[in-house]
Amino acid sequence: MQLDAPERPRAVRAKLRTATCLLLTAVAPRFAHAADPPAPPVPASPPTSQIDLTGLFYSERIRVLEPTMRYTRTYSSGRSFFGQVSVDSVTGASPNGTLPTGRTQTVTSASGRSRSVSANSIPTVNFSDTRIALDGEWQQPVKMFAFSLGGHFSHEKDYQSEGVTGRVAIDLNHKLTTLSLGGGYNNDVVSPVGGTSVGMAPYGELTGAASNPKHVKTALVGVSQVLSRKWLVGVSASLSSEDGYLTDPYKALSIIDATTGIPLAQVSEQRPDTRQRRSVQGDSVYHFTSNILYLSYRRYWDDWGIGSHTIDARYRLPVTSAAFVEPHVRFYTQTAADFYRFGLVQGAPLPQYATSDYRMAGLQSVTLGATIGFAPGGRRRTSEWTVRAEYVGQFGDSSPPGTVGVQTRIDLFPAVNVFSMVVNYRFNR
Amino acid sequence: MKNHQRRRLRSVVALILCSGAAGCATVKPWDRDLLAKPEMQFVTCAQLHAIDEHVYFSKEASLGGSSLAGGGCGCN
Amino acid sequence: MSLKRVEDYFIGRFTAMAGPCEILVDTDSPPRGERALELARQEARRIERKFSRYLPDSEVGRINGSQGQPVRVDEETAHLLDYAATCYEVSEGLFDITSGVLRRAWKFDGSDRVPAEATVAGLLPYVGWGRVAWGDRTLALPAGMEIDLGGIGKEYAVDRAASLIAAEIPDAFVVNFGGDLYASGPRRGGRPWNIGVDDPERTGDATIAAIPLTRGGLATSGDARRYILYRGKRLGHILNPKTGWPVEGAPRSVTVIAPTCVEAGTLSTLAYLRGPGAREFLEAEGAQFRIA
Repeated sequence: MQLDAPERPRAVRAKLRTATCLLLTAVAPRFAHAADPPAPPVPASPPTSQIDLTGLFYSERIRVLEPTMRYTRTYSSGRSFFGQVSVDSVTGASPNGTLPTGRTQTVTSASGRSRSVSANSIPTVNFSDTRIALDGEWQQPVKMFAFSLGGHFSHEKDYQSEGVTGRVAIDLNHKLTTLSLGGGYNNDVVSPVGGTSVGMAPYGELTGAASNPKHVKTALVGVSQVLSRKWLVGVSASLSSEDGYLTDPYKALSIIDATTGIPLAQVSEQRPDTRQRRSVQGDSVYHFTSNILYLSYRRYWDDWGIGSHTIDARYRLPVTSAAFVEPHVRFYTQTAADFYRFGLVQGAPLPQYATSDYRMAGLQSVTLGATIGFAPGGRRRTSEWTVRAEYVGQFGDSSPPGTVGVQTRIDLFPAVNVFSMVVNYRFNR
Repeated sequence: MKNHQRRRLRSVVALILCSGAAGCATVKPWDRDLLAKPEMQFVTCAQLHAIDEHVYFSKEASLGGSSLAGGGCGCN
Repeated sequence: MSLKRVEDYFIGRFTAMAGPCEILVDTDSPPRGERALELARQEARRIERKFSRYLPDSEVGRINGSQGQPVRVDEETAHLLDYAATCYEVSEGLFDITSGVLRRAWKFDGSDRVPAEATVAGLLPYVGWGRVAWGDRTLALPAGMEIDLGGIGKEYAVDRAASLIAAEIPDAFVVNFGGDLYASGPRRGGRPWNIGVDDPERTGDATIAAIPLTRGGLATSGDARRYILYRGKRLGHILNPKTGWPVEGAPRSVTVIAPTCVEAGTLSTLAYLRGPGAREFLEAEGAQFRIA
């Protein structure tokens, strides 16, 4: 890392040089005019490699197992690149948006198999899917700029994504201020299993399109600033624009009887075909005597009516010079999408857009977790383990306004409890 | 953009940049000891952060904001 | 005192300044090797006697026993005190020759005995070059305070010995007093001297790097030999005079190369005092260094 401080270039050595001359001139003139000895030949540091092996285990109603491997190579010029491959396999049951009946109900699943569900629990759909993703990024520093270019490719049974990202970071003010600008473009294709359903029509009616495009454009700007010897803060803003097929192809809504609340029919959900998202975020990293506090706050809103606040706090406590513990807490709250409905009442005209996906509803989530890091091999630090365990609880309105009949007696938003554990093993060569 | 709006924007930008340059951060090179530590960054482990973002993206309606779209997936 | 032939040069060894001293002379002539060794030994002993804090009639002993009274010093001592004052100024108080009193609280012997906060706090009022009146070849040290030239004495002795030897023999040589050294020029055939950097994890047993040096001073600061193990952390013997506690987070070993041994030693100590900021400081100063 080259630190240029033009206000005081090599100031200390200049003063020392004068002082040593005065100290040693009594002894010999040769010292008084000494220039730096010829530098011993220093080979440019060879490039270093780093490998990260990560395993994610995640469990709630669905179980995800995701091993990842990343290879990073850094050159002495500061140039670096990484390549990463990850495979994630998801199995389990996911709510399909329809309501419990009071009677046994059979549900058609994404992979074509049927499953029976008990009367008072939220109907779910079984699925299992494997996704493979490839990511890479190349980074090049040039004076006070750092340019990065990244690419992404992922494929799963019903979804394929290709994307590029570009970023430039500018160091200003003796590297105390850094400005970042970035942009990304994703070209995705959604190919629902069993074909694309017509929105707001009975489940099973198909449009005939086997695949549907979706495009996402993102722009990001950020500033980070060193406030003092111990304190770094940053502010960033992003906007993203999506268009194309933004509906969830496997989710449906129940049409319920206006008095009894018993579901009579189902229609596929339908979301708008454009979405504009905005967010602003503030971050702070503060170093106490030995511990470090990481805080961040993000405010998000989009044109689907969803607004959210996120507060995230981590506190890193070094336990020894090679190990740390970092507890973590996060609070999240979001408002429902304009077109979110827990169900549609028979007799009312069908809206243009509607979804019962609980992730589009008003909800709060709380995360509690901790990370432990340790580097075996003492100071040499050639390898490092990081283990994170987290619990996320999501809570929403069990009995939203407008519920009728049987629906009032059923918990329509059972708390979602997620346990996840990530293990990362990193080693350098 | 109207003239007065342009002027206001310019002074806001100047304020942001100046507050960095002049008063609030005169951290001398020899005081950058703590800042030089690898833990003094907003994101300390890119792998764990990416996994977190992916999990929250699939369980909530909001999208990142701190990083560019890494990947699409069918999970939301 | 002994002179031995190794390969095509001579090594002379003796003990001074609480450590092993070596002179290497690239010559085939034993008398020249002997002369270099003798000059180095005499100069090392002279400086040790003149500036030792253990001898009440040394310059430092006189100053430390002055009970607040002003003491007039000679030219050589004045130059050293001027130099120490410059180091204090450029390090913004981290390099302080009055920090010796903190020794009473800290014993660095590899055990885990750490003094009580109150003990250290009680000594801090007696630390601070800012409290000293220095000027006009006269030093007034407040009662209870002490100076210790150990931080620059050895490097100064190396440079002094080197210049005395250079005035008498034409051959290339290296003066090494306990790890602080000066090389006067390349060996015959243009070959550099190879300076091994001690492995801080296994002191004395292994070297982790070899630095080729043709001319210049080289000094190392680190915590390898004298340290305390405290809660799993290794606390080096160099104390921060502002807190009274050892510097934390410093590299295990900082080696600096500069035109003189004094400059190299000062830079390596200044870097070490900056703890984790050592590398940044040395890079900002454009110094040649190795950090382990």
